[in-house]
Amino acid sequence: MKTYTRTFSILLFSISLLTITACKVTFVPAYDAQITQQIDQTAKAVDKFYLFMLETTASDTIGRSFTKFSEQYINVEVEMNSLLNKNKIRPLNENSTRICEINLQLWQKYKEEHKRKNTLSDGVIKLNRKTFNDLFYAMQVAEEGKNIRAPNP
Amino acid sequence: MNLDINALFADMLSAIKGTVSNNRDKVETIAKQFLAQNKETLQLIAGLRISGELSDEEFKSRLQDEKLVLEAQFNALEVVSKAIAQQAANAALDVLEKAVIAVIS
Repeated sequence: MKTYTRTFSILLFSISLLTITACKVTFVPAYDAQITQQIDQTAKAVDKFYLFMLETTASDTIGRSFTKFSEQYINVEVEMNSLLNKNKIRPLNENSTRICEINLQLWQKYKEEHKRKNTLSDGVIKLNRKTFNDLFYAMQVAEEGKNIRAPNP
Repeated sequence: MNLDINALFADMLSAIKGTVSNNRDKVETIAKQFLAQNKETLQLIAGLRISGELSDEEFKSRLQDEKLVLEAQFNALEVVSKAIAQQAANAALDVLEKAVIAVIS
């Protein structure tokens, strides 16, 4: 009887411990360092793309025609799509997914504008660069924000 | 050993307050950075409309785009707020866990 009571107490203690330790809330997914790195690389690629266009070409020549940049547009769009899919697949990640959707939506919009006009003014290049800087920063803030989740020691 | 529920709730509340106050500055700093970015962008858009580099239609379209950027920024702030709420809730649960373990062991 004594052995039975002791076994029961140990079992009860173990179940209680497991129940309590399993009781953690999760509102955001775990931080992903690889995604942070990919955001940084894509942000740099976009920044370089617009800076290169601004510094090495002029709007009144064929130097800024769409075909000269179409391959780079594709390369960046591939990375943005990849970021969207990687974020979409993570549970509890609707906020970061939405930021990626907006990023991709505006990238495609500005690409179509460039294709339609077959040139871009200096001012519009600066504005596009600024818009994507802001969007990538928001993306970084969202990913780094997930790092806050670890409790203080 | 008895569980003092009032002391336990006071400790849990303290854990929540500590976590939230530790991170309050983060949200404020990020929000201020977003506002500064938006101010610069709106100045740029207005300048391009005045110089004629943007037509009226393009100007309105860019303002709509800026609303999307704002939506992205709110989403980023929401992630930070959720992460802080998660940390606060788990800090409170840690206090509860330790108190219960102390009673049953």
